[in-house]
Amino acid sequence: MNDTLHVVLRLVAVLVAFLVLPLLVGQTEHKVMAHMQGRLGPMYAGGFHGWAQLVADGVKFAQKEDVVPADADRRIFQLAPAVALLPYLLVLIVIPVGPHGFVGEAVDAGLFFVLAVMGVGVLGSLMAGWASANKFSLLGGLRTAAQLMAYELPMLLAAASVAMAAGTLSLPGIVESYHWWWTLWQLMGGLVFFTAGLAELQRPPFDMPVADSEIIFGAYTEYTGLRFALFLLAEYAGIVVLCGLTTVLFLGGWHGPWAGSVGWLWTLLKTAVLAFIVIWLRVSYPRLREDQLMKFAWTVLIPISLVQIALTGVVKVVTS
Amino acid sequence: MPLPGSGLAKGLAVTLRTMTRKSVTARYPDTQPELPPRSRGVIALFEENCTVCMLCARECPDWCIYIDSHKETSPPAAPGGRERSRNVLDRFAIDFALCMYCGICIEVCPFDALFWSPEFEYAETDILDLTHERDKLRDWMWTVPAPPPLDPAAEEPKEIAAARKAAEKQAAQAQAQAEAEKQARPGDAEGGTGEGEA
Amino acid sequence: MIHSATHHPGFLSPTGVEITFLLVGLATLGAAVVTVTTRQLVHAALWLVVALGGIAVEYLLLTAEFIAWVQVLIYVGSVVVLLLFGLMLTKAPIGHSPDADSENRWVALAVALAAAGTLVWVVADAFRSTWIDVHHGTGQSATKVTGSSLFRFWVLPFEALSVLLLAALVGAIVLSRRRADVLPPAPDGSTAPHGKDR
Repeated sequence: MNDTLHVVLRLVAVLVAFLVLPLLVGQTEHKVMAHMQGRLGPMYAGGFHGWAQLVADGVKFAQKEDVVPADADRRIFQLAPAVALLPYLLVLIVIPVGPHGFVGEAVDAGLFFVLAVMGVGVLGSLMAGWASANKFSLLGGLRTAAQLMAYELPMLLAAASVAMAAGTLSLPGIVESYHWWWTLWQLMGGLVFFTAGLAELQRPPFDMPVADSEIIFGAYTEYTGLRFALFLLAEYAGIVVLCGLTTVLFLGGWHGPWAGSVGWLWTLLKTAVLAFIVIWLRVSYPRLREDQLMKFAWTVLIPISLVQIALTGVVKVVTS
Repeated sequence: MPLPGSGLAKGLAVTLRTMTRKSVTARYPDTQPELPPRSRGVIALFEENCTVCMLCARECPDWCIYIDSHKETSPPAAPGGRERSRNVLDRFAIDFALCMYCGICIEVCPFDALFWSPEFEYAETDILDLTHERDKLRDWMWTVPAPPPLDPAAEEPKEIAAARKAAEKQAAQAQAQAEAEKQARPGDAEGGTGEGEA
Repeated sequence: MIHSATHHPGFLSPTGVEITFLLVGLATLGAAVVTVTTRQLVHAALWLVVALGGIAVEYLLLTAEFIAWVQVLIYVGSVVVLLLFGLMLTKAPIGHSPDADSENRWVALAVALAAAGTLVWVVADAFRSTWIDVHHGTGQSATKVTGSSLFRFWVLPFEALSVLLLAALVGAIVLSRRRADVLPPAPDGSTAPHGKDR
């Protein structure tokens, strides 16, 4: 009974993190993006520098009418946001935050679990793209699928490199076997993982599937109200998950001074810095064209990740 | 040949630098904007100067100035003289829904009856309310700022130049007269020469 | 997990895990049947997701965690996405596809029943009433066991499979290149006839 309570408490904590952290990232994006463009960003909602802007947005979304297009495939159209959002919640459960079992639920093949479930999230966009009965949505869905297939491979290869280095697939295990020089050793892999993850989340500069200047909003064109909000939440939850994963795999998670007591703070700090970089990249770079996007994945990221795997193998053999 | 990726780094540097600087957002409803002199906000009527010459209404490209007037005759100033007649303003209205703020009416007014005011917060929910009648136009007059000082090397305004010329001429005449009087009465050495500019 | 190796459990006293296994198996079977009988192409692909996910859950219940996640990663994450990608390129309508049914449904049913029967018979005959205690130990070792058995005892089939995949890859390239010989080469040297689109 005590065990059950323990698990429930942990899951509730993960749920709270899942609901709060994406909003934090979203609010940070509002403010950082504004200041990077010489603006102020939201200033009114909540009084102090618009801190409650996203809460206000949520209230607005909840008030909107839930419209389903007449020709759409109703069931799939309505199901898609949940399919897009839930995988990130599942992934967040297994990301270790601190030492001594500071994790929602340790899964032994955690790395594979994370990558597998994150891939499922894209099904939501595909369902939305097809079921909307809208040609722009369909184009967005096609681009999503093509992009996913191109970027899944380098992401997997980069993750595999870390798993080889650590000799385990468990995420806490990977962090535990981390040494500071791993960041240099796995630098290429880390860059590839982060970049491919950005592409999988369809974040700028890899946001061709939702390119608003040409296909309106891709697969999400027909969505309004809460369902649209769920898609947005999925994007920001994806940022949290990607940054957390990169932290765990390549930046040593909770390692840092006084890791025993404030290890979780180190994880959060590293994740926050990475989230800032995600926002920074969005503000700085223009969108890649579709052919550039594909070319980048197949001719740059995959060769680099293969080189990284070879390097990992060589170093592993030499040092052991 | 620049380093590969230096362009990417440059892009990041630009945004980061902008972030550390003060933002340029004007927080309008909270803080009033600092408008430059001669801002074209609303047109004010100084109706005491208006002679109902109709020049402004005729020149207006939008035909947004409405003027009604009637003629009044006044008895002759001296007995046996001619009766004087003058125009009296009944209505002066500007429809700001039509006005395009070209300022031609202000330029053409020969009697300085129209002025620019920087006041701009007069949006209405009914378009008809944008037609400002005589009283409202007169009230805008209180918001007209004093003309800004001239630039250091600017040309003298025509009115002041003319006045100065007239004053100088008068002064020269007075001096010449004083000279003449002094020559006529040499005992009185110090004369009133301080006839400066008026 | 509850029953130790010394105590041989009977088939008539199912544990919770076994009941779950059976229920998930039924759901998977149902999803699979809907996959092949539904008249809506994209729905078929999505029901396939349910069926494949169900199989992954079965793997999980058998404590083959690694295999389960690979199942999700490869089949749900990639194969179905590829399938949907292909469907989106066709004119798959929303609602019923009129030509979704080929005329060989009875032949297909016969083949499916034969295949299922063979598989069930082979598996039942191979194990009979052997009780395999799935170790609910640390999955870390399970992954390790999978890896070592794959690369120690089953390395030849593994390599044969990779050669098969390579052959398929080369075949795909050859198939996609043949059209370039018929068509005149594009001016920019690319062989793809739709090079402009991508």
